[in-house]
Amino acid sequence: MTGTVEAELEQFTRGEIQAFETLFRGYQGEVYGWIVRIVRDPGAAEDLTLETFWRIYRARARFDPRRPFGAWARRIATNLALEHLSRRRAERPFDDGLPVRPATTPTFDPATGADLRAKVVAAFGELPAKLRAAATLAMIEETPYAEIAEALGISINGVKSRVFRAVRLLRRCLEKRGVRP
Amino acid sequence: MNERDEALKELLKRAAGGPTDRALKRDLWPEMRQRLERPPVRVPWWDWALAAALLLCLLLFPATIPAVLYLL
Repeated sequence: MTGTVEAELEQFTRGEIQAFETLFRGYQGEVYGWIVRIVRDPGAAEDLTLETFWRIYRARARFDPRRPFGAWARRIATNLALEHLSRRRAERPFDDGLPVRPATTPTFDPATGADLRAKVVAAFGELPAKLRAAATLAMIEETPYAEIAEALGISINGVKSRVFRAVRLLRRCLEKRGVRP
Repeated sequence: MNERDEALKELLKRAAGGPTDRALKRDLWPEMRQRLERPPVRVPWWDWALAAALLLCLLLFPATIPAVLYLL
């Protein structure tokens, strides 16, 4: 089984489209699932998934078939998602990254909640991309720290530090808007 | 996380509407295939020649750099 996977990865590094297609079909869901957790926008996540695999294909010669493909793909996907968040923050500084969509957890009371949500969203949009990604993954998506650390290429303590800084900054941004959580 | 952090986390989760739906709704391979088949963008040779001439000009006459930057 491992031999088959390795052989397929070998073929991929040689540029065989068939092997790339197998990898693409096998990992597209996982890569998309990871990106959408960070950017929280299904349309952007699809585009970024394609871009991730495009970069993977172009960098195929540098890939070592003995190493796990999934981790490599996730690292590339994370970098692209962070770039996307930085770009979006620069283009639309008050955009939220928290799109309105059917909620899976209780939302705010409609009478008083819209204003509060807008404030939280604006404050969250002010965070730098790296802090925002760490906070999104840890606090909203409840992804384990070890998983975040691997994808971001930093230590678990590094993740904790980013989440801590995000919380501190978010609180400051909310206080500026008169919200004291 | 302390109590205040937990409250903030709860506020954030409610504003975001909870975790995202992580399932990919369609197969992206056809788009990827199209992209792979697209011919690479070719830069005409005269564009390279023009760029080289401009670079040479800037190296030989550095005083023109502000003028070029102004025109950009």
